[in-house]
Amino acid sequence: MAPPSALQQSATQSDFDSPPPLVRSSTVPTSLASHHSHHRPDPSHLAPEDAFTSPPQRASAFEYASNGSGNELRPRRLRRKDGGSRSRSRRRKRFQKLLWVKQSYPDNYTDQATFLENLQRNPRVQPYDFWPLVADSTVIVQHVCSVICFVVCFAGIFLERVSPNTVVGLGSFSTVIGWLLWDSWGGEDSGDGADDGLARSRSGRSYRDRREFGPPRRQDSGLGGGASSSHPNASTTSISSVTSANSSTLLLPRHAHSTSVTSLNSATSQTSTNGRRGPNSPSPDSSLKHRASSPLRNSRLNLRLATIKSAVLIYSTLLGLSPILKSLTRSTSSDSIWAMSFWLLAINIFFFDYSTDINPRKSAPVASLSTNAALMASTVLASRLPSTGQVFSLTLFSIEVFGLFPVFRRYARQRSWRYHVILTVLLVLGAGGGVGMILGSGWKTGLAGMVIGCLVSALAMGGCSWWLIGLQKYKNEIYGPWDPARPIIISRRGWDDE
Amino acid sequence: MPDKTRRTYNIAMVSDFFFPQPGGVESHIYQLSSKLMDRGHKVIIITHAYDGRTGIRYLTNGIKVYHVPFLVIYRSSTFPTVFSFFPMFRNIVLRERIEIVHGHASLSSLCHEAILHGRTMGLRTVFTDHSLFGFADAASILTNKLLKFTLSDVDHVICVSHTCKENTVLRASLDPLMVSVIPNAVVAENFRPLSYEPPSKTSTTYNTAHKPNNQASFIHPNPPPPRLHLGPHDTITIVVISRLFYNKGTDLLTAAIPRILENHPNTRFIIAGSGPKAIDLEQMIEQNVLQDRVEMLGPVRHEEVRDVMVRGHIYLHPSLTEAFGTVIVEAASCGLYVVCTQVGGIPEVLPSHMTVFARPEEDDLVAATGRAIAALRAGKVRTELFHEQVKSMYSWTNVAQRTERVYNGICGDISEGEFYGYEAANYPGGNSWSAIRGRSGVQSFALIDRLKRYYGCGIWAGKLFCLCVIIDYLIFVFLEIWFPKNKIDICPDWPRKVLKEKDPRDGVR
Repeated sequence: MAPPSALQQSATQSDFDSPPPLVRSSTVPTSLASHHSHHRPDPSHLAPEDAFTSPPQRASAFEYASNGSGNELRPRRLRRKDGGSRSRSRRRKRFQKLLWVKQSYPDNYTDQATFLENLQRNPRVQPYDFWPLVADSTVIVQHVCSVICFVVCFAGIFLERVSPNTVVGLGSFSTVIGWLLWDSWGGEDSGDGADDGLARSRSGRSYRDRREFGPPRRQDSGLGGGASSSHPNASTTSISSVTSANSSTLLLPRHAHSTSVTSLNSATSQTSTNGRRGPNSPSPDSSLKHRASSPLRNSRLNLRLATIKSAVLIYSTLLGLSPILKSLTRSTSSDSIWAMSFWLLAINIFFFDYSTDINPRKSAPVASLSTNAALMASTVLASRLPSTGQVFSLTLFSIEVFGLFPVFRRYARQRSWRYHVILTVLLVLGAGGGVGMILGSGWKTGLAGMVIGCLVSALAMGGCSWWLIGLQKYKNEIYGPWDPARPIIISRRGWDDE
Repeated sequence: MPDKTRRTYNIAMVSDFFFPQPGGVESHIYQLSSKLMDRGHKVIIITHAYDGRTGIRYLTNGIKVYHVPFLVIYRSSTFPTVFSFFPMFRNIVLRERIEIVHGHASLSSLCHEAILHGRTMGLRTVFTDHSLFGFADAASILTNKLLKFTLSDVDHVICVSHTCKENTVLRASLDPLMVSVIPNAVVAENFRPLSYEPPSKTSTTYNTAHKPNNQASFIHPNPPPPRLHLGPHDTITIVVISRLFYNKGTDLLTAAIPRILENHPNTRFIIAGSGPKAIDLEQMIEQNVLQDRVEMLGPVRHEEVRDVMVRGHIYLHPSLTEAFGTVIVEAASCGLYVVCTQVGGIPEVLPSHMTVFARPEEDDLVAATGRAIAALRAGKVRTELFHEQVKSMYSWTNVAQRTERVYNGICGDISEGEFYGYEAANYPGGNSWSAIRGRSGVQSFALIDRLKRYYGCGIWAGKLFCLCVIIDYLIFVFLEIWFPKNKIDICPDWPRKVLKEKDPRDGVR
C-alpha cells in the first residue's frame, strides 16, 4: 500500500547523501593515468584507475546487449510509461545500487555510472614540504646522536681513556641544569596557560558529562597515586584544601595518574606534568590560584622534594646494585654482549616514541619497550666493566641518557625552536667528535669526526627527506564505504583530552 | 531455456563455517543448499570437524555434510596448509561426482584450498564473499593477497551487496563482470510480527499471478492489517541485538543510550548479545541508574531472536561496518522500524520508508532515534505492513534461482553474451576479454593459462603463487597415479527433486 510518492522518495533518498566526488589526488603518478594499459599486466584485472578511466566501449557494448537481447523487456517499459508512474519508469531505465528492488538487470551487471562511485583515493594525504620534513627529522637525529654518545662513553670507559667519574659527573651536572631549566619553564608556564586551561575546563564540559565520567577518573587517580606513591602528599593536601572547587577536584588527580609510567622515570614525569602543561590539559594550579596562593607554592615545593627524594633513591639503589651488575654476565663471552647490546640499542632507536606531544598519556605503547631495551643494553654493557665504580657510573649515565634526556628534549622542542636547534647541533658535534676521538687518538681526529658527523647528518636529513617526498607518488590509499566507520563520540572527547 | 532441458548440477559447498556454530554465513550456506536441493540439484557441504561432530551427517532435505578432520586455529578457521586438504577433497569430489565447487567466506582457508584444488581437478568454482575488508592495516593486506591468489582463477564470484562487490573487485583485482551481487535473504516465516495472520489463500494466488508484471510487488494487495496505534505516553521499546564488539558500534550505543533515554521519557531499551563491550554497557547503566529502563538479556540463540524482536517497536543497529546486515531485514520482517548507521552495504538493504539512517556519530544517532520515535508516535510509519513487504523482497528461493543462473553461466549453459551482457564478437576490445575466459565464456583449465593468471598477482607473489599451483598440479598427478579414479566408490544419490513450479523467469532477468 505504499503510495507512489513513497516509492519515488525511496528512489531518490536511497542514493544517500551525495557522495564525495572522486578526487584524483595530485600524488597519483602521471604514468598511471597516461599509459595504464602498459602498467597493468593483465587487462582483465581492474586496477583502481579504472574507477576514472574505464574503457568506454565496455559500457556501450553492454548497453547494446542488454537492449538487444532483452527485447521482452521493451513492451514492459512502454506499458509502464503508459501507467504514468514516473518513479517506475525511472527505475526501469536506471540501475540502482539497491538490493531490495527487483531490477531488470543481470546480477553481474556493472553500472558504469555508479560502480565505485564512492571510492576515494588518497583523501587525507597532505603532501610533504622539504624544509619542514628536514626540521622534523632532527628529532630522530637527536636520539641517534644521544645513543652514539652513550656508546662512545662506554667505549671510553671500557678502553680506559675516560675516567668514569668525568662521564657521570658531566652527565649529572647537565641533568641538574636541565632539571632546573625545566622547573623554571614550568613556573613561567603555569602562569601563562592558567586562564586558558580553566576556561576550557569550565566551558568544554557540561555538568552531565562530568557526572558521568567523574567516578572512573577518581578511581584511576587512586590507583595511579598508589602505584607511584612518591607524592601522595601533594595530591591529598591540595584536594583537602580545595574540595569546594568542583572542577579542580575532578581534574586534579589525573596528574597523579599520568605518572605511573615506569618506576625509573616516574619522578621525572611527575615533575614534568606538574611543572609544565600544555594548553590542553587544564591545570589544578590554575583553578587553585583563584583561591589561595599558598597551597600552590606548597605543592610545587613538595614536587621538588619528591623529585629529589626519588633521585636519591635511584642513586643509592644503583650504588647497591653495582657489585651485582658487575658480575652479571661474567660467564658470557664478550661477542655475545656486543651483538646483544647492538640489537637492544637498535630496538631502542626503532621503537622510540618520536612524537612531539608532551602529554605522557598519549605516548606510544611501545615507548616503554624502547626505554627498557636501552636500559638492558646499558646493563649488559656495564657488566663488561671491571670495577664497581665504572659499572655504577655507566648505569647512572644510561638512566640519564635514556630515561631523563628524552623528556627534556621533548620539552625543549616544545618550548622553543632555538633550544631545539642548539641541542641538535651540540649533540651532532658531540657524537661526531666522540666517535672521532675513540677511533683516532686525539683532538684532531675528534675535530675531523665533528666535521664528518655534521656532513653525514646533514646529508642524511636532506637525502631521506627528499627520498620520502619522492616516494609519495606511490601512495595509493583506497577508502570507500567498506571501511569501518570511525565513530564520533562526543563524551569520549573528554577522555582523549587527557 | 525450456524447463525440460534444465540441467542440474552436483555442487559442493565448502566453508570452515557451518553448523553447529551459529552465524550468518552458516545459515546462508544451509538455506541456499536447501533451496538448491529443491530445485533438483545435488548439494553436499564440506566443513571441518567440530567438537562432537565428525564424519558425515545428513541434514533436513537430504543435504550431506562432510566434517573433515582439520586443525582449528582461530575462531573456527582451519590452519592454512595449502595442500594437505587435497587427497581428501579429491576423494570426496570423485565419490560425489561434483561439478561445481562453491566456497564461502574469505577468512575460511578450507574454502580457498578447495577452490585451488577444484581448479586443478578441472571443476567449476564459485566463491561467495560475505564480508568487507579495508586496505590499510597489515592483516587486511595479507588477507587481500591471499584472496587475490584464490580468486585469480575462479570462475565466478558472488557478493552479498554492491558495496561488497566493489570491495571484492578492488581487493582481488577482478573483472567486475564476473562478480554477481546476490543478497542474503531471510526466512520470513520465522520472523513474523506478534499479531500476524497469514494472508488468505485467494490473496496468495492473486499475488503470485500478478507477480511477473508487478515489479513493485511488495505493495501488498491484501486489505491491510489494522494500523497499530501508539499514543504519546505509550512506552516505545528499542531493541538492539548484536554481538557487543567494537566494530558493531557498541561504543556509539553506550554513548547514545543515556541521551536517548533522557530526551524521550517513555522509552526503554532491550539489549541482547554478548561480547567484550558488554561491560561498558553495564557500567553505563550503573552510572546513569538506568536499570529499570535498559534490559540486558545476554546472549540469545538465533531461534529466540524473533521473540526478542517482537517485544520492541524500533530496532537500533549502530554497526560500524556491515556487508549486508541480515539482522535489520529480520527486524523489519518482525515489523520493527529500523534505525541504522549508514555504513557498508546497509543503505542498499531496506527501502527508506522502513529505515532511518544516521551517520556513525553519537549526535546523529541520537537525532535519528528521536526522529524514529516521533514518526512512530505520529503514526506515520505503517510497521504492520513491513512483514509482507520484506517477504516479497527477500526469499531464499529467489537467491537459489539467481545462484543457479551463475552456475549456468560458468558451465557454459547460457551463452557468454547472455551471461556477461555483451556479444564478444561485436565487442571491439573483445580479444583481451575473451582470451582469459577462453571459448564459450568459461575459463580455460590448461595449466599454462592458469599460470598466466596467477603470474599477474605481483612481482614476488606471482612467482610464489605459480610455484604453489605447479606443486598442486604435481600432487594431483601423483594422486591420479596412486589412488586412481576407478578405485574410488561412487556414492549413490538420493532421488532428485523435480522442480514443480513453473519457472517465472525471475532468475534470468
